[in-house]
Amino acid sequence: MTEAAIETWRGPTMDVRLKIWRVDGETGERALKEYEIEAPEWACLLDVLDIVKDRQDGTLAYRKSCRMMICGSCGMRMDGRAVLACKERMKPIVDAGHVPVISAMGNLPILKDLVVDMEPFWSKMRAMKPWLQPGYEEPPVKERQVSQEQMNVIHKEALCINCGCCVSECNSMESDPEFLGPAALAKGMRFVGDARDGATIERLNDYNSEHGIWDCTRCYFCQERCPKGVDPRDAIAKLGAESIKAGITHDMGAKHAKWFVTSAKTTGWLRETELVPKTQGVVSSIKQMKFAMTLAKKGKVPPPFPPHVADDVKESRALYNLVKEQGRDGALGIVQGEHALGRIEFTEAGGVKVNDPEVLPGVEPPHAEG
Amino acid sequence: MEAKHDVLIVGAGCAGMRAAIEAFDAGADVAVISKIHPVRSHSGAAEGGINAALGNASEDNPENHAFDTVKGSDYLGDQDAIEILCNEAPGDVYQLEHWGAVFSRTDDGRIAQRPFGAAGEPRTAYAADITGHVLIQVLYEQMMKRDVAVYEEFFAWKLVLNDDRCQGVIAWDLLNGGLKSIGAKTVILATGGAGRLYQGTTNAYACTGDGMTMALRVGVGLKDMEMMQFHPTTLSPTGVLITEGCRGEGAYLLNADGERFLKRYAPNAMELASRDVISRAEQTEIDEGRGIDGNVLLDLRHLGAEKILERLHGTRELSMVFAGVDPIDEPIPVRPGAHYHMGGVDTDAWGRTSLTGLYAAGECACISVHGANRLGGNALMETITFGKRSGAHAADWALSHTTVEVPPSVEADSERELQALLDRSEGERPWSIRDELASTMHENFGVFRREEQMQEQGRTIERLRERYERVVVEDKGSVFNSDLTQALELGFLLELADCMVVSGIARKESRGAHARPDDYPARDDENFMRHTITTWVDGRPQLDWKPVTATKWQPMERKY
Repeated sequence: MTEAAIETWRGPTMDVRLKIWRVDGETGERALKEYEIEAPEWACLLDVLDIVKDRQDGTLAYRKSCRMMICGSCGMRMDGRAVLACKERMKPIVDAGHVPVISAMGNLPILKDLVVDMEPFWSKMRAMKPWLQPGYEEPPVKERQVSQEQMNVIHKEALCINCGCCVSECNSMESDPEFLGPAALAKGMRFVGDARDGATIERLNDYNSEHGIWDCTRCYFCQERCPKGVDPRDAIAKLGAESIKAGITHDMGAKHAKWFVTSAKTTGWLRETELVPKTQGVVSSIKQMKFAMTLAKKGKVPPPFPPHVADDVKESRALYNLVKEQGRDGALGIVQGEHALGRIEFTEAGGVKVNDPEVLPGVEPPHAEG
Repeated sequence: MEAKHDVLIVGAGCAGMRAAIEAFDAGADVAVISKIHPVRSHSGAAEGGINAALGNASEDNPENHAFDTVKGSDYLGDQDAIEILCNEAPGDVYQLEHWGAVFSRTDDGRIAQRPFGAAGEPRTAYAADITGHVLIQVLYEQMMKRDVAVYEEFFAWKLVLNDDRCQGVIAWDLLNGGLKSIGAKTVILATGGAGRLYQGTTNAYACTGDGMTMALRVGVGLKDMEMMQFHPTTLSPTGVLITEGCRGEGAYLLNADGERFLKRYAPNAMELASRDVISRAEQTEIDEGRGIDGNVLLDLRHLGAEKILERLHGTRELSMVFAGVDPIDEPIPVRPGAHYHMGGVDTDAWGRTSLTGLYAAGECACISVHGANRLGGNALMETITFGKRSGAHAADWALSHTTVEVPPSVEADSERELQALLDRSEGERPWSIRDELASTMHENFGVFRREEQMQEQGRTIERLRERYERVVVEDKGSVFNSDLTQALELGFLLELADCMVVSGIARKESRGAHARPDDYPARDDENFMRHTITTWVDGRPQLDWKPVTATKWQPMERKY
C-alpha cells in the first residue's frame, strides 16, 4: 500500500468479506465470487466495491457517481434487497460476521456484473409524458404563485432520484414486464398532483390503461425499498383516488375499489357476492356462476338477499359524507393522512423523533402553524 | 464518423441540458453526449439554491447582486460578465419555474429566498435543500419533451481539431465498447469540475475535469486554474457536502471551546461571510489546536427540530448516514473540502473559446463571473444563464455554417493511442497514482499555499505523470469497461493539477481562494488584478496573463 493510500484510510480498519454475482459482459456467464479486503471502518458498500476493483479485480463493473445518495447511479442488490451502495454502511454487517451477497438489480436486463440496462426503466418514464403541461404559452415574466401547501402534495414524488430500486423489487413487473411500475407512476403523480399542470384528465386516462395503476398488486415492496422515501405505492394510491374522483372508472381495478366504498356506505360491510359483477361485469360473472354456487354450498359466501346491514352503518355513512364534504376523496386525503401520521412521530415541542434514518425519509415534516 | 450534428454538447448537467434546450429551440440539430445518464450529473448534488434578485424576501435588484458577486470574487471577476449574469438571472429562474421546477414558496406563493454567504439580501431561491436535484429533474423533463438526442454513457475523450475549427468529439462507448467519432459544427463543453483532484471533496467520482483537459489538448487556454474553492462545511473523511443553507437558516460554527470563532475573522457577517474567509478561519482554528479531530462544529440545535425537518431534511439524512450524527441533538463535525473550480476553460460571455466552434459553460468554463471566490448560489445560476447563452450562440453559428468533417487520420490516431494503452500488460494500475495525487494536492495546494509546498507539488506531479506513462488497464473487455475510462480520467486530472500549481506559484499575492499567508499575505491589485492563463506547450503548462474587465466597481478592501 502506498503512503497516500494509508493517509486516505487514517483511522481504524476492518476486514470485509463479501460475495459478488459476476456476470460476463460478452457471454452472460454467471459466477458467485468471494472477496476479502481491508477497508476503513467508515466504509459503505460502494467504498468496498472500489477497493475490490482497485486492488483485486479491475474488471468488476458497477455504476457510481455522487456517493451521497442523490445521483441514483449505484442501485444494486445486497442479500436480495435493492439498495444504494453508497448508503449501506458495512460496519454493522462485518460486526455481525455476515458475508453479504451482492448482485445486480432485478427486473432489468443485466449487462455486466452489477450494471443493468436502464432503457426499459426510461422508456416507461417517457411513456408518462413526464413534463409540465401548463396549458398556456405565456412568456414567463413572473413566477406562477402556488402555495407551499399545494406544492407539498408532490413533496415525496419530487424526491425521486430514478435509481430503479423500486422497479428492481416490483412483484407486478416480475409477472408483467410491461407494467409501468412504481418509478414511472410516482413520476406521473408528480405531475397529476402539481397544481400548475393542466393535463390531469389526459394523464389519468393514460395511466388507467392496460399495464397502468390498477395492475399494482400492492405488495409495498417498492415503498419498503425506496432509499429516498418517495413512497411509490402511496403515489399509485393517490393516482387511483384521483382517477375515481375524476370519474375515470373504466378499469376493473377502479370498479373494484368503488364497490368497496359503495358497499361500506350502504351496509357498513363488504357485499362480496356483488363484488364480482360490479368489478368484472355481468357476462364474466355468469361464467363464474358454477364456482360461486360451489362456494355458497360450502357456506363460504353469505346469501346476497336481503343485504346484511351493520348495526352501526350510520357511522360508516357519516364518515363517507365527511370525506366528501371536506374534499378528501382524491389524492389530498392520502397526503393529509400521511401528514397526520408524520405528526404522530413528533410531539408539539418537536422533541421526540424517529431515530432510524431508514424510516426518516418517508416522514413528512410537520408544518409551521398558519 | 458515426453521426453529424449542428450542436454537440459534452456533459448533461444543468449547463449542458440548458444549452441543449436553448439550441434545440433555436432550430438546431442538437445532441448531448454524457459519460453518465443526465440525471446522474453532479449539478443534482447542489443543495442550497440559486441566486437571482427576484426581490421576494426583501427589496433587491440585479445591481446589488452584481456588487456582492464582484466583491465576493475579490475583484478578479469580469464585471461585464457578472452584470449579464445578474441581469438575466431573474428571467432565467422564472423560466425554470414555468417549466415546473418545484421551488419552495413564500407565504403568498412566490419563490422563497433565503440568506446566503456574502450576499447583502436574502437572494437564494431554493427547493428545500435539494435545489440542484429539482433543477436537474426539470431540465431532463424538458429534454424528454423535446426528444433531444442523448449519447448516454459515452465517454468523451478527444476534441476533433480540423481546419482550425473544433468539428466534433471522439468518444468511448461505455455500454458497447469501441471508439465513436461524432461530428459537429459546434461543440459545447459542459463537463463540470475537477474536485477529484483532492482527497476530501464534495465532488462526485465523475468530476474529473474532462472538458478542461480536452480543451487544453487542442490548444485552448485555461483561466485562473489556481482558484479552487474550499467549502467550509464538508463531512470528514469523505467530503460529503453540508449545505451553506444551514448557515443561511442560522446555524453556528463553533471551535473546540464552544466559541463562535468567526467573531475574530468576520465580526459582521459571522457565519454568512464568504466561503474563502470561513474556510481559512476554520483551517486556522484547526491548525492552532482549537479543532476536534481535524474538524470544527456546525451547530443547528438552536434552529429546532421543526425547521431542520422542513428545510434541511436532506442535510439531516446525510449527517446521520455519513457522520452518525443527528443535527437535532448534536453539532455536525465539518471541515473545509475542495468544492468548486472558479477556474476553467477561458471563454467570453457567449461561452466562446479561442477555438472556432468550441464553447464552454458551467463549472468547466471560466467566463469569469466568480473570479477568485464564488458566492454560494451563483454556480447554479451560472449554469442556467450561460448554458442558455452558449446554446443560443452555438446554434446561431452552426445554422449559418455548413461543413463538418472528422478526418480519418484523427480517428486512426485515437484508435492507435487507445490500443497501445489496452495492449500494455506490465506496469502500475492507476489507483495508487490517483490516491497519491489527491492526498498531495490536499496537503500542498489546499486552503493555504506555501511556496516550497507548491514547488514540491510540482515535482510530485511530474513524477506521477511519469508513472502514468506506464499505467496498465486490467479490463480488456468492451462492455462497461470503467477500468479504462477511470485510467483516462486520471490522465485528465494530472494535466490540470500541473496547470493549477504553475498558476498558483505565479500568483504572488493572496486573493480569494488563493491564500499565501507566509510570503504574500495581501492582495496586490497593481500586479495581480489579472487572470492567469495556462496553455499546453510541449507537454508542459505555459503561463500567460489576461486583464480583468472592470465596469462600475473599483477594488476596495474586502471585509465581512
